[in-house]
Amino acid sequence: MDQSNLSNQKLKKIEKKLRKLQHIVLKETGVECSINKPTNILVIANAGLINGLTEETVLEHFSIYGTIETILLIPGKSCCFIRYSDELSAIKASENHNGTLNIAQNSKPIYLLYATSLPNNEDDAINEETVPGLVIFEDFITLEEEQKLLDLCDFESNSDVSHMKNRQVKHFGYEFNYNTNNVDKNQPLTEGIPEECNFWNRLDNTAFKSFIPDQLTVNHYLPGQGIPQHVDTHSAFEDPIMTLSLRNPIVMEFKNSYKHVSVLLKPRSLAVMSGECRYNWTHGITPRKCDMVHTKTGDVSFQRDTRVSYTFRKVLRKPCECMFKTNCDSFKESIEKLRSNAPELEKEHVHKVYEKIAGHFDSTRHKPWPNVVEFLESFETGSIVVDVGCGNGKYLGLNKGVFNVGCDASLNLLDICNKKGLEIFAANCLKIPIKDNCVDGAISIAVIHHLANDERRFSALEEIARILKPGGRALVYVWAKEQEKDQEKSSYLKQYRNNKTPQAAGEASVSNLPIHVNRTQFEYEDLLVPWKLKRSNESNKSNEPNTFLRFYHVFHEDELKELCEDIENIEVIKYYYDQGNWCSIIRKY
Amino acid sequence: MKLLTHNMLTSKCIKGVSVGYPLKINASDVKETEIDFNPEFVSKMIPKLDWPVLYEAADSLGKVGDLPKNIIENFENDEDFLKKVHHIMLEVEIVNGNLICPETGRKFPINNGIPNMLLNEDEI
Ligand SMILES: [Zn+2]
Repeated sequence: MDQSNLSNQKLKKIEKKLRKLQHIVLKETGVECSINKPTNILVIANAGLINGLTEETVLEHFSIYGTIETILLIPGKSCCFIRYSDELSAIKASENHNGTLNIAQNSKPIYLLYATSLPNNEDDAINEETVPGLVIFEDFITLEEEQKLLDLCDFESNSDVSHMKNRQVKHFGYEFNYNTNNVDKNQPLTEGIPEECNFWNRLDNTAFKSFIPDQLTVNHYLPGQGIPQHVDTHSAFEDPIMTLSLRNPIVMEFKNSYKHVSVLLKPRSLAVMSGECRYNWTHGITPRKCDMVHTKTGDVSFQRDTRVSYTFRKVLRKPCECMFKTNCDSFKESIEKLRSNAPELEKEHVHKVYEKIAGHFDSTRHKPWPNVVEFLESFETGSIVVDVGCGNGKYLGLNKGVFNVGCDASLNLLDICNKKGLEIFAANCLKIPIKDNCVDGAISIAVIHHLANDERRFSALEEIARILKPGGRALVYVWAKEQEKDQEKSSYLKQYRNNKTPQAAGEASVSNLPIHVNRTQFEYEDLLVPWKLKRSNESNKSNEPNTFLRFYHVFHEDELKELCEDIENIEVIKYYYDQGNWCSIIRKY
Repeated sequence: MKLLTHNMLTSKCIKGVSVGYPLKINASDVKETEIDFNPEFVSKMIPKLDWPVLYEAADSLGKVGDLPKNIIENFENDEDFLKKVHHIMLEVEIVNGNLICPETGRKFPINNGIPNMLLNEDEI
């Protein structure tokens, strides 16, 4: 409908509406819009993703006026940007649809504005982005080979294909269960991968040269069908996973927590998903009837037609050992195991390590932290103060008026304390051999984060509480997951040197925990932190490893406080953040 | 290890031990060091001590001398007494020997002045 046909009254109503929407769009997207100063960018100001508007609907109504370069539907927003290659197309579209095209929510009319630019949205650039680990080999097979593969699975007449909600599927080698995203490794199918699929020597000159799959899933997608976003279960298959597309093109969506990349899969192309793409990005196909591709000359939309995909995988015979722990089921399982094998882990990755690094550790730990010193000095003459996990003894004997005694599980560290004339004994912080209600004060600095599960960390705090006299106070420091607070980086991060690479384990690890890159933010709560040992020249000749991995549980903001508050007869009198640590002063009452 | 430390130590952390205090001392090597005397420190420490345990420990090392069996009255003002306590509690040190759990007889070795109170997995 042409706007000239609208009554004056109606036009005024539209203009009033548009003026209001101008402000809303500016507020939502930061983009200045105009009611009557044309540009090549139209904004549907009152409908967007959250109102159920789809790219398909927009294309249907707006592509007839000219070449659309971009359609931008922003998650969570109630507007949509349409960029034409020229202003005239935008004017024509606006004249025909402004206030009259009923595709807004509840079939209400849409209102159109002219935008000066597209919003600065991350998603804006989605189609120029690439997915790390995704490699596409175009024309991987010939037309004849394609036909042969299509003949193998005749979906129109075949009865041994399963009809899923969205598409038809057939399996070879092992059945892939789309509900669990896994295979039953003990139940191979009678039918292996057809020999027509033996074209893997074509990858001989690539990084994927020794790929021999043993599982194949054939999917048959009609227009409008799709597959939900998913990650193929880590422990189910090796890296990589390969998908051969047949018959017609389709757009596959790849997503991680920050990015969304749409990739065109052409017929006869092989898409190889490896590394980050295989382990950390989801992939899926949006159920719709048309796709849009970005070309140098602008966006082209195409109607979908039947597409067949051959997805080849190799069943994994051991736990996944990938670097991408967030989506890793094997990793999650190993974290569960921490609950039961905590003592073993602490022995291997705490006690043994400190015995080996004691000398070097001592040479790097001499400067006491001021807030700890202040706490120690708050005790009056004649007080008894215990240091639980005293390490090299840097906090022992600072306050000359108190009786200071330290304990540690490392005999080598205690030897170092002994040479400094400090009073110490060997003990584990979970079993402090001191009478109940016996000491005026205690400190435990950077100790409890070495315990491998929550119950043990809580027990260690209870143990400190037990030895305190009523009225006694203790100070506990643990490493914080947050190594940056109030925009200030901790000194641990500040010392980052750009030449760090993840270091190899010095010893066989009893767990599958992630290894932290020193001086970087923590990505995980439970992790192994490398200690690179500097040896004296003489012992350097030995073949002993130089890097040792220490277990840490890094605490999130309120974790230590909450643990302390759960202890009987204990109140938290101060809780603070100090140089990358969460710190708690508790008092027994 | 000083006798003041011994005064606090227990083997109660062993599974099945109910009190574990005081630990018996079996010393093979004892030394005496010199520590600065601080009368205020000693006065404040005396009420915190288990006096009979300190006395017994000193006695077992043959270091009790003329230390009174009981805490005397007005000890804060008796410098001679405070000095004796200072000596016993801080200057007498066990270098080598064993601490022994009174209930199970479990020995905790003292080597080079450091008592090893670490427990084996089957003891916890
Ligand atoms: Zn994995």
